[in-house]
Amino acid sequence: MADMPVLSELNAVVLKIEVAPGDRVQEGDTLIVLESMKMEIPVSAPRAGTVTAILVREKQVVEEGQKIAILGG
Amino acid sequence: MSKLFEGSAVVQGTGLALAGMEISVTLNEEEMPMNWRAELDELRLRERLAHEMGGADKVRRQHDGGRLTVRERIDRLVDAGSFHETGAIAGSATYDENNELKSFTASNSIFGRARIDGRPVVVVGDDFTVRGGSADATIHEKPLMAERMAAEFRLPIVRIIEGSGGGGSVKTIETKGRANLPGGVGQSIGFHYVTSNMAEVPIVALGLGSVAGLGAARLAASHYSLMTKSSAMFVAGPPVVARVGQDLSKQELGGWEIQTKSGAVDHAVDTEEEAFACARRFLSYLPSSVHELPPKLAGDDDPERRDESLMQAIPKDRRQVYKVRPIIDAVVDRGSFFEMGAMFGRPIVTGLARLDGRPVAVMASDPYFYGGSWTATACQKIVRFVDLAETFHLPVVYFMDCPGFLIGLEAERAATIRHGVRAMAAINQTSVPWCTIILRNSFGVAGAAHQPAGRLALRYAWLSGYWGSLPLEGGIEAAYRAEIDAAPDAAAKLAEIEDRLNKLRSPFRTAETFWVEEIIDPRETRPLICEFARLSDKLLTPGPCAFPIRP
Repeated sequence: MADMPVLSELNAVVLKIEVAPGDRVQEGDTLIVLESMKMEIPVSAPRAGTVTAILVREKQVVEEGQKIAILGG
Repeated sequence: MSKLFEGSAVVQGTGLALAGMEISVTLNEEEMPMNWRAELDELRLRERLAHEMGGADKVRRQHDGGRLTVRERIDRLVDAGSFHETGAIAGSATYDENNELKSFTASNSIFGRARIDGRPVVVVGDDFTVRGGSADATIHEKPLMAERMAAEFRLPIVRIIEGSGGGGSVKTIETKGRANLPGGVGQSIGFHYVTSNMAEVPIVALGLGSVAGLGAARLAASHYSLMTKSSAMFVAGPPVVARVGQDLSKQELGGWEIQTKSGAVDHAVDTEEEAFACARRFLSYLPSSVHELPPKLAGDDDPERRDESLMQAIPKDRRQVYKVRPIIDAVVDRGSFFEMGAMFGRPIVTGLARLDGRPVAVMASDPYFYGGSWTATACQKIVRFVDLAETFHLPVVYFMDCPGFLIGLEAERAATIRHGVRAMAAINQTSVPWCTIILRNSFGVAGAAHQPAGRLALRYAWLSGYWGSLPLEGGIEAAYRAEIDAAPDAAAKLAEIEDRLNKLRSPFRTAETFWVEEIIDPRETRPLICEFARLSDKLLTPGPCAFPIRP
């Protein structure tokens, strides 16, 4: 399956990175936890696959629409 | 046979001589005595020519592009066989030297009445196979009469839009020999109906294909707009945009992700069939016009049903988010929630649903987006949605979890506060019955705007209710500055104050003072909101809204 970018859907700060490149994930698994308005907002895998890349680090500010991870086949 | 009739059915029957050509027409009434046989034959011939639309080649091209023709679209949208067309034989014709009809091309605007779920509607559609839907082949009065028919006969209108939606092209300058003043003498009334009908009848607009200019305006000036994911919508298309230095494809410029996230279009679907199904479903919740009340169905879901999952719906940890859509699904009539505008203003979820068979407008916070904080776009979404509810007499149920307005520099730059007080004004101006369920947070001005402020609404707080003028975090530093500064250990002092305040903020203390009238077991929600919907029966009043809704 083609690589699929995972986007942040809001402006936030990266709180926790729950997976590493190479990890197998199921649809709905939490990849990264963002923080916004004091809330923890999980970003979950849009489908099953292997994490190809994590494009952010903890405490980094991310914007709406920014690619934060790549999910491979 | 001339090329003109290529692709039409081979028909037998009475010969009809037109322009020296022998044309066959099927007539079952062949043997019937008639004074007007020749005229009837000509009428049927002209209707048949109109049904050929832009000709076999253009129809094939439409199908090759994965799109239906406008006549196929209408047939699949409405109840089988219910379409009654107005002005089918309007178009442009050529005649030979004997003034016999030589060729005929129908107008690219097709309209008439039909039924959807047995209820009459007006349907108007652009025929892209005729001159790409552009104005020079439209006959300006056709789409205009469709809008008038909807207004005068108080019928919902469905606009099927493709191309420029009857808008002009630069070619018009050459064909007319002059430049058109948009909205000039005799040209403004169409623009009147495009927006004025929003305060009269439900308008559904479907963008199927490339939609630009006036077409885009007719798509956006609706209560519910849809596009297929292969369609694109823009004010001006790629060749025009290239002249301002942006080299973009149709999809990059106005594809479904752009237009649903921007809020210009409410919903995108994979197929035209899905678009028709969404249009029918949207209309099922609404009255045919503002002069009627929304149609009640026999409820097939127990109004007293108590969903056990609701006791686990809200996490104890206030920093954790939860999914609000399953909560809505658990309390409205089973399967009745119909979301609108899911990709825009996402801290707020809006849609239509039924409670004990009665259509209601549902608004809910989505903590996945800024914890449910009101952003500028969420506020725009609220304004449009509560205006829709007010226009069509839908009681509002608001499932609220609002920690306030979005804060920070970007939020200030977006004029969040002005959009916020505008949303508050829209809520305050409603007269439809209102019921708010406080799921969790209610903070600040945005928290205050959870029901119309000047009249009594029903309000229930869940056990998870949590509120205040300001959140403690940051709020303590502001309010207890002197006390914290004077302390030897500022951090310890802050923690001590926070602990002190937290002990006082139990929702029961608020209820004890009657600052909130009721705290409920979440499982009581459905019985209570169904009761609210039944109580609303007596309060809904048909008629135009005190202020006409804007797109």
